Amino acid sequence: MKKSLLVLLGMMMILWLAACSGDDSSEDTSGDTDDTSEETDTDSDSEASGDQVTLRIAWWGSQPRHDYTLEVIELYEEQNPNVTIEPEYASWDDYWQKLSPQAAANELPDIIQMDLSYISQYAENGQLADLEPFLGSEIDDSNIAENTIEGGRINDGLYGFNLGSNALSFQYNPEILAEIGIEEIPETYSWDEYQEMAQQAADAGYYFDNGMQADVFFNYYLRQNGARLYAEDGSGLGYDDDQLFVDFFTIIQEQVEVEATPTPDFMAQLAGPEDDPVVLGDGVGIFQWSNQFVGLEDMSEHTFAFATPPGENLEDGLFLKPSMYFSISENSEQKEAAAAFIDFWVNDVEANKLILGDRGVPVSSVVQEEIADDVSEAQQAVFDYVAWAEENSTPMGAPDPAGAGEIIEQLTNISEQIAYGEITPEDAAEHFRTQAEGILGN
Amino acid sequence: MQTHMKQNLWGYLFIGPFIIGFLAFTIIPIIASFYFSFTSYDLFNSPEWIGLDNFKEMFTSDPRYLHSLKITFIYVFAGVPLRLLFALVVAMLLNTASRAVGLYRTLYYLPSLIGGSVAVAIMWRQIFGDDGIVNLALMTMGIDPVRWFGNPTAALWMLIFLSVWQFGSSMLIFLAGLKSIPQSYYEAASVDGASFFQKFFNITIPMLSPVILFNAVMQTIAAFMTFVPAYIISKGTGGPLDGTLLYSLYLFKQGFEFFHMGYASAMAWVMLVIIGILTSLIFFSSKYWVHYESEGGR
Repeated sequence: MKKSLLVLLGMMMILWLAACSGDDSSEDTSGDTDDTSEETDTDSDSEASGDQVTLRIAWWGSQPRHDYTLEVIELYEEQNPNVTIEPEYASWDDYWQKLSPQAAANELPDIIQMDLSYISQYAENGQLADLEPFLGSEIDDSNIAENTIEGGRINDGLYGFNLGSNALSFQYNPEILAEIGIEEIPETYSWDEYQEMAQQAADAGYYFDNGMQADVFFNYYLRQNGARLYAEDGSGLGYDDDQLFVDFFTIIQEQVEVEATPTPDFMAQLAGPEDDPVVLGDGVGIFQWSNQFVGLEDMSEHTFAFATPPGENLEDGLFLKPSMYFSISENSEQKEAAAAFIDFWVNDVEANKLILGDRGVPVSSVVQEEIADDVSEAQQAVFDYVAWAEENSTPMGAPDPAGAGEIIEQLTNISEQIAYGEITPEDAAEHFRTQAEGILGN
Repeated sequence: MQTHMKQNLWGYLFIGPFIIGFLAFTIIPIIASFYFSFTSYDLFNSPEWIGLDNFKEMFTSDPRYLHSLKITFIYVFAGVPLRLLFALVVAMLLNTASRAVGLYRTLYYLPSLIGGSVAVAIMWRQIFGDDGIVNLALMTMGIDPVRWFGNPTAALWMLIFLSVWQFGSSMLIFLAGLKSIPQSYYEAASVDGASFFQKFFNITIPMLSPVILFNAVMQTIAAFMTFVPAYIISKGTGGPLDGTLLYSLYLFKQGFEFFHMGYASAMAWVMLVIIGILTSLIFFSSKYWVHYESEGGR
C-alpha cells in the first residue's frame, strides 16, 4: 500500500520535473537570438526531417475574417500534411493585450498579424525577425511591387510582410443618400460641404455617419493641412498649431450636436458592429479603411458604394497604408516554415479566392488578375477604389513611432471627453500635446 | 534521531511541490515587482533604476491614476456594504427551516461561481441593454431608460450591482454564523415580548458581529482587487470615459498595453499599502462594535 503510493508520488515528481525542463530548453533556444540564422537552419531541418511542424498564427478581426482565415489554414494543411497550424484569434483590443505578455515571455506565435501602429514598438525591441533573407527563397516576391514590400521596413530591416494596400474612404448607402435628397457625393467636397450634407441627413431623420476614428481621421485632416500626427523622426507630434486640433474636433462635436452622428453613449451601448446604425440602414455611411468594405456588406443587408472622405485637398490627405502585415517572431524556431506560409498567403490563387481582399488589395499582381473573375462586385469596388487612390494620394511617410499605441489610446480618450462635453476642444488640444510629448519624449 | 530526520524528510517531500511553487510563482515575483517599482521597465529591455519617480508621477502628473483611484473607492465603499447587507438578508431568509432550503442555497450561491465568466458579461449586456430587462422595468415604473454602457456613472453602478449579485460566499458565512446563535436567546426574548426588529438589533447583530467583521475585511480586500468584471464589461477599455477604469484594470493597461511594467509594479505596491491601511482601520474600529462571546460579551 505504502509502496504503491510512493511509486505514484515518484511518477508525479518525474512528470513535474519533465514539464519544468521542457520549459527551460525552449527558453534557452529563444533566449540567444543573436546567431539566429545558423540556429534556425538546424532547427527547421530537424523539424522538416521529423516531418511535423507546428506553427502558431495569431490575428485580430471580426467573425467573417476568422471564418475564411481558418479555411485558408485548412487548405494549407491539406497541401502540406506535415504542417499543423494552431490559430489564435481575437478582437482588436484583446489581441494587443494578449500579445504583449507573450512578447515579454518570448512566447510570441510564429506568425503575427501586425499593424502599422505597433510594428515599430515590436521591431525596435527585437521581437520580430527580419524577413529580408526569405525574399526570393521562401517568399516569392517576383510579382510584388518594390514599394509594397518596402511598406514593412522599419529602420534597416523588413519586419513585416505587407498583406495589402488600404485607403481611407466613405462607404455609403446610395438608397439612403437618395432619400435624404442628395444625388451623388462629389469626388472632392470641402469640410463645409460635408457638414451641409450631414445636416440634410439629420433633417431627414438619418445619421450621416457614425463618427470618425480619432487617430486615423485627425491624421488625415492634419495631412490636408501640410502636417501629420507624428513627427517624421517619431520624437514628437507632427503639427505645431493646436488650432488644427481645435478645428477638427469642433467639426466632430458639431456633427454630434446636430444629430448627424450618434452620441457617444449611444455608440457605447451597441453590443457589436452588427448593431451599428449604418449597418441597420439608419445612417448614410461609414468613414473607414477600404478593406472594411467587404465586412460591412457582409454584415448588412444593404449595398454600399465608395466615396472619398471630406476636404478639398484630397490628394495630400489620402495615402496608401499597408492594411496589415504578417510578421515572424524572433523567438520562432521555425522561421522558414512560417515564411513558407506567408508565401502561400500572398501568392496562392486558391487561398486568395478565400481571402478576397479582406486584408487589403492583394499585393501580387498575378493574384489580382487571377481572382478578378471570382471577386464579387463589392470586392471589385474595393480594388477599383484603391487603384484610384493610388493615383490620387501622397506617400504615407515614416511608420508610426514606438508608443503610438499609447498615443492612440490617449487621443481616443480625449476625443471621447470632447464628445461627452467634459472638456472643450481648446483644453483638449493642450492636454493631448502635453501627454503625447511626454510619451514620445521618453 | 534517525527516524525523526526521516519523518521530517517525508514531510518536506510532501510539501515540496507547494514550497517550490510558492517560491517560484509568489515570493520571487513579489520581490521582483518590488524592485521593478523603482525602475522604468518596458518588458523588453532591462529595467532602469529611477528611484521614486514612478510614485511621484502617480500622484503629481497622472490624472487618470487619480481618477481610477477615485472610482475604485466609490466601487469599494458602495459595493461592499450593499453586498454584505444583501448577503445578510438572504442568509436570514434561508435560515428559516423549509424543505427546499438546500436547493435555494445552491441557487443563491450560483452567481458567485459564474460571476467572472464571459457569459455573465454577455448576459449583463442583454440585461442592461437599451431594451433589456432593467430598462423595461424602469419604463414600467415611469422612469426614463438609462444608457448603462454609455454613461460613466451608470456603468460604474452596473459594476457595483454585478458585485452585489455575487453575494454567495458572504451569504454562506453569514448562514453559518446565524446557525451558531443559540435558539434559546430568541426564545427568551420572545417570552419577554420582543419584536422582530428588537431581536434583530439586540441579538442577531451583536452575535453576528465577528462574522460581519470577517466578511467586511475579506470583501473589502477582494473588491479593491476587482479586475475581471470591469475588463469584460468595458471590453478592456475601462470606458465609457474611464467610468469603469478600476485600479487593477488601469494597472493592467499600464503594464501590458503601454509597456510600463515599472509603473504598474509601483501601482501594485501602492494598492497594497492602501489595502493595508483600510484593513487596519476596520480592525481598529472593530473594538467598538464587535462582540466576542468568549470575552464575556465585551
